[in-house]
Parts: sequence; C-alpha cells; structure tokens
Amino acid sequence: MMIKTELERLADQALQAIQNANALEDLEAVRVSYLGKKSGFTEIMKSLGQIDPSERPAVGQLANQLKAKIDQELTQKKNDLEAVALSAQLKAQALDVTLPSRRPHGGSLHPITTTVRRVNAILGRLGFEVTTGPEVETEFLNFEAVNIPKDHPARDMQDTFFMGPGIVLRSQTSPVQMRAMQSQPWPVRILCPGAVYRCDSDATHSPMFHQIEGLWVDRQVSMADLKGTLDFLAKELFGSQVKIRLRPSYFPFVEPGAEVDVSCMLCGGKNPTCPVCKGTGWLEILGAGIVHPRLFEIAGYNPKDVSGFAFGMGVERIAMLLHGIPDLRLMFHGDQRFLAQFTGVFRGSE
Amino acid sequence: MKISLKWLNEFVDLKDLTPVQVADALTARGFEVEDFSRQDKGFEKVVVGQIVQKLKHPEADRLSLCTVNPKGLDAESSEFLEIVCGAQNMKVGDKVPLALPGAQLPNGAKIEKGKIRGVVSNGMLCSEQELGLKDTSDGLLIFPQDTPVGWAVADVLGLDDTLFTLKLTANRGDGLSHRGIARELAAHFGRKLIPMRIQDLSGAAQATIAVSTDVGEDAPQFFGVEIRGVKVGPSPGWLRRRLDSIGSRSINNVVDVSNLLMFELGFPVHIYDRDRLQGDRIYVAKSVLGESLKLLDESTVRLTGEELVIKDSSGTIGLAGVMGGASTEVRSDTKNVFLECAEFNPTLVRRAAFRFQKRSEASLRFEKGIDAGGLREAISRLSELVVKVCGGEVTGVTQIVTPWRNAAAEGRLRRMTASLSKVNAILGMAVDRPKTEEILSGLGFKVSGTGDLLSLEIPSYRLDIDHDQDIAEEIARSLGYDAIPSTIPALTSAPALRHGQVFARRQEMLERTKDVFASLGMRETMSFAFASDAAIRATGVDPEVKIQNPMSQDQAWMVPSLLPGLLAAYSVNDRHHFGSEPLSVRLFELRPVFLSDDQSQTKVREPWHLSFLLSGFAEQTTLKTAEREIDFYDVKAAVESWIERLGLRGVRLRPIRDLSAADQVRFHPGQVMEIVAGKERVGAFGRIHPKLQKEITKRQTPIFWGEWNMESVIKLWSSGVESFQSWSSFPTMERDFSLLVGHHISADQITQVLFKAGKPLVQQVRFFDRYTGPGLAEGQSSVSVRVIFGQNQRSLEESEVETASVKIIDGLKKDLGLTLRA
Repeated sequence: MMIKTELERLADQALQAIQNANALEDLEAVRVSYLGKKSGFTEIMKSLGQIDPSERPAVGQLANQLKAKIDQELTQKKNDLEAVALSAQLKAQALDVTLPSRRPHGGSLHPITTTVRRVNAILGRLGFEVTTGPEVETEFLNFEAVNIPKDHPARDMQDTFFMGPGIVLRSQTSPVQMRAMQSQPWPVRILCPGAVYRCDSDATHSPMFHQIEGLWVDRQVSMADLKGTLDFLAKELFGSQVKIRLRPSYFPFVEPGAEVDVSCMLCGGKNPTCPVCKGTGWLEILGAGIVHPRLFEIAGYNPKDVSGFAFGMGVERIAMLLHGIPDLRLMFHGDQRFLAQFTGVFRGSE
Repeated sequence: MKISLKWLNEFVDLKDLTPVQVADALTARGFEVEDFSRQDKGFEKVVVGQIVQKLKHPEADRLSLCTVNPKGLDAESSEFLEIVCGAQNMKVGDKVPLALPGAQLPNGAKIEKGKIRGVVSNGMLCSEQELGLKDTSDGLLIFPQDTPVGWAVADVLGLDDTLFTLKLTANRGDGLSHRGIARELAAHFGRKLIPMRIQDLSGAAQATIAVSTDVGEDAPQFFGVEIRGVKVGPSPGWLRRRLDSIGSRSINNVVDVSNLLMFELGFPVHIYDRDRLQGDRIYVAKSVLGESLKLLDESTVRLTGEELVIKDSSGTIGLAGVMGGASTEVRSDTKNVFLECAEFNPTLVRRAAFRFQKRSEASLRFEKGIDAGGLREAISRLSELVVKVCGGEVTGVTQIVTPWRNAAAEGRLRRMTASLSKVNAILGMAVDRPKTEEILSGLGFKVSGTGDLLSLEIPSYRLDIDHDQDIAEEIARSLGYDAIPSTIPALTSAPALRHGQVFARRQEMLERTKDVFASLGMRETMSFAFASDAAIRATGVDPEVKIQNPMSQDQAWMVPSLLPGLLAAYSVNDRHHFGSEPLSVRLFELRPVFLSDDQSQTKVREPWHLSFLLSGFAEQTTLKTAEREIDFYDVKAAVESWIERLGLRGVRLRPIRDLSAADQVRFHPGQVMEIVAGKERVGAFGRIHPKLQKEITKRQTPIFWGEWNMESVIKLWSSGVESFQSWSSFPTMERDFSLLVGHHISADQITQVLFKAGKPLVQQVRFFDRYTGPGLAEGQSSVSVRVIFGQNQRSLEESEVETASVKIIDGLKKDLGLTLRA
C-alpha cells in the first residue's frame, strides 16, 4: 500500500508542477524530474519486482494510469504554452501594412507608341502590314512621286525642311507608300507609321509630329471599301457608338479625296458647348481618298489593272482625342508628370 | 476666303435658304465653311441716339455726362438716358451709336447699367472700333444729320449680310470668286445662274496702244482696254461696304474696282495710268538678269531673268501676275487709264511671287489657274465697272490671243472620255447614266456618247478635271459622300508572311525593346529630332546633318545621338522638382539618329538608337532605411536584363580600354562599359561625367546614361522563339575562395582564371563579397567568390573538387599573382 500512496503523491506533485510551469523549458524540466530516467516514478517502476506479486498487477496498473494522466497533462500544457508563444511571436512580428512598399519604379510607353500600336492592331485584323521608311527623303519621293510637282500650289499645304538640294525631311509618310509599291507587286496592304516634319509650331502644330498612312491596292478597290475600313477603325478606337462622315476635299495623291470626321465621342453632338467638338458634333481625324492613277504609273503598276485607297492621320491628334490631352506640345517635353499618366499596355507590336 | 451671301444672290437666287443650309451645301461639296456669321451680330440693342445735353462729369475732367434721346420724335424727356462718355468729338445734336444695357458688342464688350466714377451710366456711346467696324478709331462714330433717331444701327449701316469663311482646296481655283461659288450652289440646289448682262466691246475702236506677247505659251492671252476721262477718288459707299464686308480694304475707286472684279469673277487684273505708258505697245517678256524694278508698294526687286514682266518702250513696267510697277501707277491726277486682263503661266507667277515674297490675292489666282475662256468677258465687265464708278468712256480695245491658245479654242473645248462602269467601280456603288448626265450637266459639262462611254466637254474654268476618278469625285460630291455604302475590302491573297521576314522581325525586336525598358521602370519619351549646335557639341560629338531652313538655330541640326534630347528632358523635370529628395529621372527613347553618309542617296544614314537616362532612388521612395540611390550596378542590371529578356546571344558588356574623345566628355572614366554586338562596339553606358552633369544641373545625385545602335543588335536577334535545353539532374558542389586582390585586377580576369584552371568542372562563378578598409593594405581588397562545380552526366567525387580547387588556387597565383586571404 505504501507504494500506491507514494505513486499517488508523486502524481499529485507532478500535476501540480505541470500546472505551475509557465514556459516550455519549465515544462521540460517537470517532465524530466517526474518521468525521466532518474525520476521517483522510474525508481518505483524499477522496484516493482520487489513487491508482492499479488499486488503487482494493481500497482502496475495504477502506475500506468498515473503516467498516462501526467503525459496527457504535459502534452496539453505543452500545446497551450506553444500557442501562447506563437501568438506572442505573431504579435511581435506584426507590421504596419500601410507603410510604403519597396515598389520598383513604374515604367510606361509614350501615348504615341500606344496609339500607333492600337491602330496597327485594329487594322492588322483586316490584313494590313506595318512598314516604315527613312525620315530624310528625296524631294522626288516626298513630293513628285505622290503627285505634288514642283511649283504646284499643293506644296503650300506643307512647309518643308530642306536638307540639301533635292533632299528633305519628309513632310508626310506618303513616300513610304511609294517605296513599298516600287518594291513589291500588288496587292499592297500597308500601314506606314512614323515621324514627319513641317516648319510650323504652335499649340496645334509641331515641327515634328507623327503620321500613320494606310494604303490598300488591289484589283478593284472602291470608296465604299475605304469607308468600311475607316468606320471599323473609328469604332474600334473610339467606341461602337461613333459614326464617321466623309467630306469632299483635296489631297494631290488621291482622287476623289475626303476629309473624315468622327462623331464626337464625348457628347455625340448633343452638347452645343461641348469642349471636345465645340458643339459641331464632329471631329476631323484624317484625310483619305482613292489613289491617284499617277502614283500607279510612277510605281510601275498599270492604272488600268489596279485601284486603291489611301488614308493618313496625325497620331498626336488621335492620341489627344483618346486621352483628352489638351496641348500637342506636351508630347515632346519629356515631362514625367505627363509621361507617368500613360502606363501603357505592354503588349507586343500587334 | 470670305464670301458674301448678298453678293452670291446676284448670281444665283438663294433668298429662300438659311445661311446654315448654304453653309452645309458648300461643305458637302468640298468647299469647307470654317465659320459664318451675320454682319449684324453684336448689334442687337445698339440704336441711333441723339445727344440732347452734354455736361462735364462732376468727378472726372476727362469724362462727359451726356443726356441722350434713344427713341426719336415721340420720345418723352423722361425716357432720355444719362450716359457717361469718355470721347471728346461729339456735340449736342449729334447722332451717335448708343449701346443699351444688355447689348454685347462685336468686340465682345457686355454693356450693363452701372456707375462710372459715382454717376450712373445707362449704356454706352460707341466708336467704330467698339462696333468692330475698324481696327482703330478716334472718338465716337457720328452719323449724318438725316439719320433717324431710334433706328437699329445695323439697319443704318446696311449690315444685313452673312459672311462665310471658306477653306478652299488647292485644286479649285475656280472657287476663288463669288460667281465660282455661286456656280457650285446653283448645281447643288438645281437652280439657274443669273446671267450677267455685260456691255459688248467688240464695236469699240482700236486702242492707241497695242498689246503683244514675246513669250508664247507663257502668256497666251492679253486683253487691253483704254478708258479716257476718269476721275480718281474715294469709292462710293456701296463699293467700300462690299469690299469691307469681305475684309478687303478700300484704296481708291480705280483700285477698288479691280479688286471688286477679282472677287466677283476671279480674274486678277491691272490698271495702268495710260499717259505714263511709253510708246505704242506694251508686251509680256522674260525679265533680264540683274535689272531692277520698282513696284507699286515702293519696294524694288532685282529680277533674275526667270520672271514674266510687262514692258513698254521705256522698259520693264510690271511684274506680270504679281504686282504692277510704280512708274505707271494710277495716281490721284490720273485722267486716262489702260486696263489689262491677261493669262500668265501659273508656275512662273508662283515662282516670282515666292522669290520676292509678294504673294497676293492676284498671284494666288494665277497660281491656281484662271478660267482661260473668260478673259474677254472679264475685261468687258471691268470696263463697265470703271466707267460706272470712275467715269470716263471706253475709247479703244486691243487684244492678243496666241495661236496656241486659239488652237485650244480659248480652253472652251477641253474634251475627255470617261467610263461609266469605271466611275461606278471607283465609288463602289451604281449610279445610272441618266443620273450621271444630270449631275455633270448641272456642273457645266456637255455630255454625249452612249452606253458606258461618257464623252465630255469640260467647262473652261474646271482645270482640275482630266480622268475617270475626277468624274467619280464630281458624282460623289454631288450625291453626297454619305450616299456611298460601307464595305470591307476583300483579302484576295493570304496575308503577307511575317515569319522569317526581315522587316517584321526588326519591328518586333524594336517594339519588344520598348516593352523591356518600360517594364524596367523607365518612361518612354519622345524628343525633337533636332537640336542646337551647342547642345550637341556639349555632349562631346559634332553635329553632322544640318537643316537648311530651320525654324530657329535651336532646331538647326539633326541629332547624332539621343543624349541632347534626354538631357533637355532632365532639365524640364529638374525645373519643377522641389523638396529634399533627389530628382528621379527615368527615361528612355528609341528612334533613328542622323549621321552623314556619302554612300546614301540622301547623304544621311539613320540608324535606330536606344538611349536611356537614369537618376535618383533605386526604388520608388520607401522608408529612409531602405532608400538607396541608383548606382552603376543598377544601370548595368538594366542593360543585362534587356539582353536576357530578348535572349540576345552575342551581345556582351566589357570594360573600355581607351575612352574616345566623345566618351571622355560624356562618361565618368571609372564607371563605364561598352556594349559589343558580335565583334562590333555598338554603344556604351555608365555614369555621366561630373563636369557634364554640372553643366546640366546643380544636383549631385549621379546621372547615368546608356545609348547604343540597335541595327547590329537586330541582326543578332534570332527569332524570339526559345529552344528548350535539358538540365543536369546530378547535385553540384560549391567552394568559396577569399582572395586578396589589387585594384588593377578585375572580377572578369579572376572569372576567366577560375573557368580555365577548374576546367571542366566549374559551372558557375559568383562574386558575393568585396571588402576594402582597415586590415587591408592600400589598393587592396578582399574579394570573395563562390565556385559551383558539377558534371552533367554524373555525381562528383569530393576528391575531384579538392583537386580542382588546388588547381584554381595555383592558377590564381600563377596568372594573376593572387593569394587566399589568411
């Protein structure tokens, strides 16, 4: 009986010690002193062989019961203490998540780049391919080859920078069209984006600006095809609700020629004081027409076999309408307050 | 050009149409109306008032206090208005323009009842300037005494017209007159032109002076009329008002009449003082190189032998089509005049007008081509106007029509044929023959032929018509472009292959480069392609390509590098950056630069360059403890990332042994690398030289810049399609070496030795520490490098790595004299 009493006393002490333990190390010390190799419990279990065999089963059973109880309490306490420790650790690791991040710098593409990409992507679906050409051009390709002879009043439409005798900074991307036609047989379906230059500078004119010209030459191409193409472009650029309007006009490289307006994307023509369309309901976006037969002669195509349409737009004009940019000159200053507003769609060239 | 609705009505009856209808019709036909307005705009609530009393303003010496009768005979004195007025030129009884409260004057001023220096003013008395009638005026406009008080000023002044401002295209010289515009409107509205009844001069006697031409086709027609007994003086009111309304200034009755004819019928004409003409003949000739001519505007031009001139027996008396000479000018004492109406070569007129910067309404019309069939009518009309306005009588006529022009029957018989089906194909819609004929006849064409063939006689004033597409345009603009359907053009062949196509590949490479630099946290910018000589030279390079006619010297040279533009952009951002933090500038640009090249047809070569400029914190600002300014290795990382992301094989970075003269100006000599594509150096990057930085900004935060030629790089770019590479599944082993290194030895040199000595086991080398300072000798540093050993086909033995390490240590000692740090 003495052993039973001793076991129970030890167990009570152990349970008490477990309860008193406040740290995982303390708890481990409790486990060692009560259940370890040198503990009273182990000693008693070792001496079990010396007691009356008749009592042995009962004492053994009691010892196992008490040991299991202590183990269970130890585990329970350990879990509790670990939970407390973890929660203290988590608390200590808490951050003010509203402090600033270590964000890498933002990059962006120029609105002219993204606008050119938009147009290329839209018209690429119809079968147009992008091509480019040099910015310093021969006067012949810039003018004569696109039906603007020397001393023709149409030269007044473009004040040109001269680089030397017969050499100009191209005043339009039309020479690229001629280069393309001269270098390949028809059909031709091309877009020519790029920088162009004219001696002109104010809020709506810049000595350097960008154009995209399109050219489609095939066996039987009509004004109706031109209208359909430009309608598709305008709707994809500005929204399916917009309409286009063609007005007769004159560009030496086309005949018939047209100026093309798009209905105001802001007011749809309903606001007489609209800041975008000034109440007219229409915004001029490009010039277009049926390719003049003279161009085919120069390109070496037979004008009897082919016809084509061509159009040209100012990229800045389109970008200003798309983004609501008030002043053309902002495009070329490199002011990061401007550039940072166009985070760009980083898609590929198409 | 300004067009008067009242004037148009003399040629075609438009009285039932609103100005909006007329404007829309013009725009729809290709004569874009930029703007139109009624003349009486701004004249609402402006009436004729009579001054009944004039007192001094009690508080201001320079102002008067006028009592004004605003209503006329039946006005009670209680209705009189007190008006404060600053003008001095009026007296009691004068009739003057009175703007009542609520009026908004043509110059924009809003009139309200209000106190002026303590006295209530119930409106304003107006000057001609305030009414928008003149640019300047001195005092009030005072009406004649018989002007009825209370009438609207607009009625008194006859301001009942509407003016259209047209934007005319370069091909429609026939639209440069009221009759020309009226012709279009008559066709549009299906109305008849009102014929002009012009006195026939064919019965007149031969003039005492003859005309002729020495230049054949360059002056195919010349008509002259002699009028005796004119009286030069101011023009009558109707003529002045008419010219005024379209913005042409009245000079005297003779000049005004010739201007009137030009704006009416589109023919530029000239009137000489008959008595100042010498000899019995005036004629058109080419000028003589070096001769000089004093013009009407008192300027003297030195002729080149290229211009057409008018001569009499005394010599050159006028620059044909551009401006008359001073010697034969009509003056106030002129009694007899000689009228000229001629046709000159448009190109020669244009060149002369440009050469002497004398472009005018007259030269403009010659440049665009006048109606060769209308000169006879024009000079008759002019004679009639001169006699009517200036008096005198026609005493003689003279004319020359060259055989060449006669052969073309004065231009009236220009013929062409067109194909109806071709016209329809161009439009993309079917317009039948009757409709086509109706439209063309309405426009003055004579149509004959049958079936598909349109045989056309082109009106002499339509110089822009000569093939099927011109006829298509006439049909389209008559039906309205809205009538044309919308279709999508058919693809008659497969789209062009991009695969393997040099140009498509190039475009893709350039666009992907933009994407990479944007994703590296830089902003794409676009600078002007031209800069000043000084701005380019400041970056250590000489400009090569000059613009002959620049807008200014700041934009005179095409850039050979994108650095000047990026530095200018840096300054733009510098100017508006405030506060204590460093200025962050992160820009890139991709575009061609301009270099001279004798091999090229244009003498210019335009390689595309990529250029970037970086300065400021390495990251968008975070807490102070994490702040770090960009250094060389950030910039190197950007270049390496570009190489990596585009998968560029054969593009390498290496130290520069000898900096070029330009690079000595641009780069910090100790923080620069060059970029090599294949074997060609294509560019460099590094820190901007502190001296150059000092010229740009006061800021100390280093600026970094890189730029290279993309052309050779594009050639090295394979396709952008990566090929799969398998990897080793066997473990690698690593050893770290700490070395004492003199500063003259680079990490690159050490790397080369490591690979060579540890061959073939060394797979990777990574420098992970570098220390300089206490414990080390001057000029020495401790460099730690980790070497990764491996074999693709098997596991390594410990002993192999030991052997390799010993070889490495030996190699470092032997080749570079390096020892392990104790």
